[in-house]
Amino acid sequence: MAKFENLIRASFLACAMFSVLITALVIASVFSETLRFFSNVPLLEFLFGTEWSPQTALRPDQAGGSGTFGAVPVFLGTFLVTLVAMAVAAPLGLYAAIYLSVYASPNFRSWAKPTLEILAGVPSVVYGYFAVITIAPILRAGGEMVGLSIASESALTAGTVMGIMITPYVMSLSEDVISSIPKTLSFGSLAMGATQSETVKKVILPAALPGIISALLLGVSRGVGETMVVVMAAGMAANLTINPLESVTTATVQIVTLLVGDHEFDSNKTLAAFALGFSLFFMTLILNIVALIIIKRYRERYD
Amino acid sequence: MIKLFERRTRIALHRVKKKKSPFIYKAYSKKPKHRWLRKRKAQENRFKSAGLIAIMISFLFLASLMWNILSGGYSAFREAKVNLPIEFTPELVEKNAYRKIMQNALLELFPDVISRKDKRALFALISRSAPHDLKDLVEENKDLIGTRQDVWVSASSATSVFYKKRLHEQSKRGGKITSTQAAWITELAQSKHMQLKFNAAFFTNGDSREAENAGMLASTIGSFFTIIICIAMAFPLGVATAIYLEEFAPKNWFMDFIEININNLAAVPSIIFGLLGLSIYLNFFGMPRSSSIVGGMVLALLILPVIVISTRNALQAVPPSIRAAAAALGATPTQVVFHHTLIYALPGIMTGVILSIARAFGETAPLLMIGMVAFIADVPKTMSDPATTLPIQVYLWANNPELGFVEKTAAAIIVLLTFMVLINLLAIYIRKRFEIKW
Repeated sequence: MAKFENLIRASFLACAMFSVLITALVIASVFSETLRFFSNVPLLEFLFGTEWSPQTALRPDQAGGSGTFGAVPVFLGTFLVTLVAMAVAAPLGLYAAIYLSVYASPNFRSWAKPTLEILAGVPSVVYGYFAVITIAPILRAGGEMVGLSIASESALTAGTVMGIMITPYVMSLSEDVISSIPKTLSFGSLAMGATQSETVKKVILPAALPGIISALLLGVSRGVGETMVVVMAAGMAANLTINPLESVTTATVQIVTLLVGDHEFDSNKTLAAFALGFSLFFMTLILNIVALIIIKRYRERYD
Repeated sequence: MIKLFERRTRIALHRVKKKKSPFIYKAYSKKPKHRWLRKRKAQENRFKSAGLIAIMISFLFLASLMWNILSGGYSAFREAKVNLPIEFTPELVEKNAYRKIMQNALLELFPDVISRKDKRALFALISRSAPHDLKDLVEENKDLIGTRQDVWVSASSATSVFYKKRLHEQSKRGGKITSTQAAWITELAQSKHMQLKFNAAFFTNGDSREAENAGMLASTIGSFFTIIICIAMAFPLGVATAIYLEEFAPKNWFMDFIEININNLAAVPSIIFGLLGLSIYLNFFGMPRSSSIVGGMVLALLILPVIVISTRNALQAVPPSIRAAAAALGATPTQVVFHHTLIYALPGIMTGVILSIARAFGETAPLLMIGMVAFIADVPKTMSDPATTLPIQVYLWANNPELGFVEKTAAAIIVLLTFMVLINLLAIYIRKRFEIKW
């Protein structure tokens, strides 16, 4: 009997170890390809180079091999799209969360919250289609009305749609944070004659700030790693620009364009995708860890 | 508490208003007298309406998303068909010249079309696959040879789109219908020779280069194969991991490490798992590219941490008294888990697993990495055949600028979302029906 117990336990432990194995595999596989990439392309060129054109593969016997791999435009594009997305998702998600947790009647809240969470369950490829078919023409028409020319594949389009996608996520997380603030705090403020909005701004939000910041960070991390929306709605060409009306590219788009289709596995082109993937993994990992640390500190304050 | 207080005040105010006592009425009236009070009141209203507006905007997005997809896609479920008087001449059947048979029938309907150019334009109204359909018809029933039958054949995609939307100008996006063709279509429609019929091909065909023949059976089957592999791998692994961490694990730094690790894994972008699949499954183990088995294994890694987290939550919800009672009656730790805790936690575990399957079902990006984006016309028969999944079918069609494919994309999204809704409803049903409240 004891033997059986131990066997079961050991096999369950093996399963638990598998998750560690996956992480190790992710890091090992992506990192080893990245190292191979950096043995061909200098790290400094990747980090600070301002020209990204991996597709212009020259003849192999020519000096310079294939393309240039300055990742600054790619990261800048990722940053720009995520910034637009957060500019949509942060105010929408936060105001919605505040309204739901402070003002809304329980009845309204009980159906509004699940309805908005439908937005989070829609597959991202559907958002990509929505961006191309609906949002892009609307934004272009709107831009023309005020005399702006918006590229059909712009950071604005991709960012807006990504923002819509992240909104329920930010809303849900920050609503949980706001509701977990002890009611006594807001009762105290209200009893002193503060209005509801003053209570929210001066009492609830400062108390919930760490949680809200970590919610926003998790939103950013999702935006950075989101693929389908940007593949369908942002461009392929790596432009070095901070103008959201122009076409930009992102790390995920580049990974997809470099790896989809037939390719030999040893070319710099393919390895560059792994280098981008590794930077992506690294960025989201940092964001998540920072968010977790902030949440942990915040928790200690009210328990 | 606050709500109650507010309500009482309002009732009191109401009474005061009725009595029209001038003194109290002024003091409590809705419009504060002092400027700074008014300012605060306005601020409060602004803040509240900002919140309401944020929610309304989100609703608006949801509504326009759904409206766009439904209005753009419902038309693809019906396609224009043309009723042709087909003469199955034995000689032509013998020669396998079904195209000629079809063309003769068309020319019979439009006897005044003579020039070569006009004829070609006329034949372009009918789907290029129509002769194949006729061939299938004959092979199914040899008695047809030598007879004359009225047969409904598919119109071409451009015709179908034109007929449905009545586009009177040549569309920019590839729906090329000339004015002569438009006149013919109108004539066919008026004589009831062209009608909209249920588009069965959409559900029974694989992908096709011709929009009118493109269907989603291949990608649906691919999706199911992928999901089966995904469940087979992620479900036992995830649940076992969660049980170990929740019920057996000693408290030490290593278990903390595993826990942090799993939480981080849940937040890794999905495309990274695609890279993993590409370099480990395909390059290292040499598994078949584009196959649903690799797709399922990649998705399993993706949802494994999600399953672990939700299973742990379900196990945590079982009160410790159950475990204590079982242990007190002499059950071993494994018996406690398998005979008691797990049974009670099962509905919660199933809900979590089903929801994560819904996530895997809608996932696209990691599958692009392992080559599941190929054009697949044949329905996959085994799990190692090249396959696509529903979301990838959506992506592929969305990249096709032809007007016929635009509506197909929306229709495919409708099918995809229908599956998602069904999966979620199943999860809700299990939660409502079986979950135990402690």
